[in-house]
Amino acid sequence: MEIEFQRVGKKYESGHDALSQVSFHLQQGEMAFLTGHSGAGKSTLMKLIMMIERQTTGKILVDGVDLRTLGKSAIPFHRRRVGVVFQNHQLLFDRSVFHNVALPLQVSGADDEQTGKRVRAALDKVGLLGKEKLNPMALSGGEQQRIGIARAVVNKPQLLLADEPTGNLDPRLSAEIMNLFQEFNRVGVTVLVASHDLALVARMRHRVLTLNQGRMVNDGGFA
Amino acid sequence: MAKPPQQRPAQRGATRQSLSNNRQSAWRAPSFDFKLYLRQHQAFLIESFTRLIAHPLASLMTVMVLAISLSLPGGLFVLLKNVQSVTDQWEQQSVISLYLFSNLEDTEALALSHQLSSRADVESVEYISKEEGLRYFEQSSGYEQIMSTLPENPLPIVLKVIPKAIVDLNTLPELQSLRDHLQSLPQVEYAQLDAEWLQRLATMINFGQRFVYAISALLVIAVLLIVGNTIRMAVESRRDEVLVMKLVGATNSYIRRPFLYMGFWFGVLGGVFACLCIMILAWWVSAPAERLIELYHAGFELQSFNAVEIIMCLTISAFIGVIGSWIAVSRHIRDIELQ
Repeated sequence: MEIEFQRVGKKYESGHDALSQVSFHLQQGEMAFLTGHSGAGKSTLMKLIMMIERQTTGKILVDGVDLRTLGKSAIPFHRRRVGVVFQNHQLLFDRSVFHNVALPLQVSGADDEQTGKRVRAALDKVGLLGKEKLNPMALSGGEQQRIGIARAVVNKPQLLLADEPTGNLDPRLSAEIMNLFQEFNRVGVTVLVASHDLALVARMRHRVLTLNQGRMVNDGGFA
Repeated sequence: MAKPPQQRPAQRGATRQSLSNNRQSAWRAPSFDFKLYLRQHQAFLIESFTRLIAHPLASLMTVMVLAISLSLPGGLFVLLKNVQSVTDQWEQQSVISLYLFSNLEDTEALALSHQLSSRADVESVEYISKEEGLRYFEQSSGYEQIMSTLPENPLPIVLKVIPKAIVDLNTLPELQSLRDHLQSLPQVEYAQLDAEWLQRLATMINFGQRFVYAISALLVIAVLLIVGNTIRMAVESRRDEVLVMKLVGATNSYIRRPFLYMGFWFGVLGGVFACLCIMILAWWVSAPAERLIELYHAGFELQSFNAVEIIMCLTISAFIGVIGSWIAVSRHIRDIELQ
């Protein structure tokens, strides 16, 4: 999936300018990091791509389609093509690991056989194949984060968005998670990861987009 | 950084446009799959029932509140139905009795009887001769011995005129004017329309009907509110789930569905218990009610809900359940937005 921001601005109703004049182009199959201090607009940028928020100015093109031309009814179908790992929308603890990961498939109406196959494939990729029947509560923080990633990729999305996926993890686990994203990118998925862990981002050697107070201050080089 | 769009050559813009038209299809809903639709509905039907059972006490309490709210209008409906069936029986008996002058000859009386039965507003005329009258009198009153002591039969010839119009409040004036007309005939000593009690009863039934409608309307609203509130709380308790579902691309109608089924189950179960309540109540009052009606020399069997009415009751209650949850859910799911 290809993402293009053209002078995008987002002003919240409170008057706060979360983003202004943000432009960048993320090619199909590219992997990039989004960094910046907290409040710089990383989450807002991701929400705009997910159509959780709408931009106030500028243009967002996804695969060449202007998101403003999509109505409310198109949002669910847009979201099915994007896998997300968001910190605050995590796992449901009233069901097993399997059913957490299966949720995107259920929503898009996959049959049981297909669901079983895809969920196990996704869990295998994140190294949790043996734990599908457990409640996510029984797993460690790193494992829970990996369930979230499995859920994000189970629908074979063309774009993977991750907002601070390594937030509460130690450096070794964080590196593991980042390697996972790299693997998905290697099979052609466009990946955009927001992180404030500059050291880790620098080690990954990918394109880095830096936001500062809602403006894109750096695009390209390693942080 | 990407170039601003206006610097791009026009030609490239054009190809991009056609490309985007092609790609736009990815945002549209996939073509409708009926089998999938049915399968999802079946799954939701079962899942929502399992959820109710998972909290048996809370669910039972809600169901019982619904049952009680539904059984009141249902019970009143049964009561009204029975009162109406009793009055229907009495309606058939409504007649204008003409007591003819006792000096009238049988032939003259018969002629009058024929004349009256050919009237457009008269259904039939029953001719009761003096002898027949005497026999009825002896049978029913127990004055047999007194009558036998009388030198001659003192009873007049009676014509029982059965009007075409069914007696109710609307036809009552018409019947009264018919009675007045018959009274004015020279052969008639006295004409009696048995309808005053009916006027009172009809007024009472009318009042009763309106009362039942008003109570029913209020209680239907109560049921809507109860279901709505219960479902609203169910949505609230599954807020995280709703958010995650929205995030992974669930449509609002998909998110709404399990809650609508929950409302459906509340409605159906409330209806089942309401029917049970009404039937038990009907059974409980049937013996004294039948005895009471017997005192008025009328054959009467208390009617409870029949099969059609049970199905109607369940359909209506299921419908109210779905509507109640629809109102609550569509409002609430829209309010729960990703942030």
